[in-house]
Amino acid sequence: MLRAWLYASTLTALLAVLAVFGFLLHASWPLLAEQGVAFVAEPEWFPYEDLFGLLPVLIGSGWVVLLALLIALPCAVAAAVLNAELLPPRMRAGLRFVMALMASVPSVVYGLIGLWLLLPLLESQFDLLTGRSLLAAGGLLALMILPTLMLLSEEAIAKVSAEQRDAALALGFDWTRMLSRVLLPQAWPGIRLALLLSLGRAMGETVAVMLVVGSLDRLPQPLYNLLQPAQTLTSRIGREMAEASLGTVHWAALMSSGLALALAAVLISLLAQRGRAHEI
Amino acid sequence: MKFNGQRDLLTKSLVVLLALPALLLPLACLLYIVWRGLPGLSLDFVFSSGEGAGFGHSSGIVGQLWGSLLLALGACVAALPLALGIAIYERLLASTGQRRVLASVVAMLQGIPPIVFGLFGLVLFVHALDWGVSLVSGALILAIVVLPTLVMTMIAALQRIPIEHTEAARSLGLTEGQLLRRVWLPQAWHGLVTGVLLGMARALSETAPILFTATVFSGVVWPDSIFAPVTTLQTHIFYLAQEGGSEAATQVAWSSAVVLIALVALFALLAHVIQKWRPLHEA
Repeated sequence: MLRAWLYASTLTALLAVLAVFGFLLHASWPLLAEQGVAFVAEPEWFPYEDLFGLLPVLIGSGWVVLLALLIALPCAVAAAVLNAELLPPRMRAGLRFVMALMASVPSVVYGLIGLWLLLPLLESQFDLLTGRSLLAAGGLLALMILPTLMLLSEEAIAKVSAEQRDAALALGFDWTRMLSRVLLPQAWPGIRLALLLSLGRAMGETVAVMLVVGSLDRLPQPLYNLLQPAQTLTSRIGREMAEASLGTVHWAALMSSGLALALAAVLISLLAQRGRAHEI
Repeated sequence: MKFNGQRDLLTKSLVVLLALPALLLPLACLLYIVWRGLPGLSLDFVFSSGEGAGFGHSSGIVGQLWGSLLLALGACVAALPLALGIAIYERLLASTGQRRVLASVVAMLQGIPPIVFGLFGLVLFVHALDWGVSLVSGALILAIVVLPTLVMTMIAALQRIPIEHTEAARSLGLTEGQLLRRVWLPQAWHGLVTGVLLGMARALSETAPILFTATVFSGVVWPDSIFAPVTTLQTHIFYLAQEGGSEAATQVAWSSAVVLIALVALFALLAHVIQKWRPLHEA
């Protein structure tokens, strides 16, 4: 009886992962059967003309995630070093607590910040008609992943043993060299893990991105133009899911976008675990 | 040595300079939200239903508050037995290899974006099982979303039980059931409570997966059955933000955001307090 419950719940978790992929694949099948997998690299998305190219959203998602990590990583690691190495221990706990609280702020609230604080700022700074753009989405995501990225990086830095530090200083290293030759390399596996987790979070974030990305189904012109409205995988699903009706190819195309997201997430998760295995 | 000292000073200033945005921006955002939301906050706003005078313009969010809490509670109630079973299996029965597989499955569940579970729930719960856009569909989707949080908190709590206690219990001939009830549960119950509270906080912060599986724009204060849709704080804020519009609607969005943050923070804080609280002999 007891064992049956334990086995059943564990099997349910395994089945849940398989079921997610199974059902999404089944739901995407109408599109895959009609167009193969070539649609992934097509640049046009017009549901009314049966064009379901994923390239614009893949590039959109890629840019947004890259921007978020580029903005957030240096700041988060610097804050982690400051908190773990330079501030007195009592402040450390307080700051960690505030950051943990910040990490739990719901994403839809960040959407409000983006809409009424970030967009007007971008509009006035870059003289744009609308601030809705890849840059806005990337900046907002950077803000959202900052607390988690900082907390995890700080844990990694704090884990570097005191002996390592003392040994470095006894060798006559100054603080700068201790940081760059001992602390950061030693903490790198943990920071890498934090980076991968934040990558997954940024990629999968939906509502906040939907509110600020502009939802324009077109490739950026040129490809590095970050100040134009664009679309990401998640924002397209969120925007169009309510309009698509069950059984249409449009529905299947949105499901296949979800499948792409899930595959990318699993890939990131496997990468993160490989890193963890190396660490041990 | 003097040269080194200067270089250190430069590095440290650089670290502080880079760290400042990371420390100040999130805090500034929080203060900004509270500053925008406070003018619209009142007991009447939180505890009246605001139906009648048109969507979003009349205030009153008690319906949304109930919806959010019902969904989060439903999610945790559905996930709790599952998470507990997985955690006990991991500690009691699993081999090293099985533990590795289980850890990787839990990590995958945590890594898959919530909106993907939303799509999955849309296909399975809403359409295939024909439960419609409803409380039960949303709660089950959120149950998958919060499952990893619950499992990991519970495994961590069980891990902290000293191995001697388990060995002593086993050598006294306790059955697995007795071991769980008499040794593990009394020592790890705070881990279970922490897990559920963190799960509540997580479920309350999710918007995307319930957007087209559990909620409607407005018009629900208390759902008639578990197969009826609800309104939630999260989606309320989202719709108001998306439609933009009047000054009044904007104010409702900001004030709802303050209520939502307070709610999430309340659960996170409770979890924090209970996690700090340990049985006496552990201290």
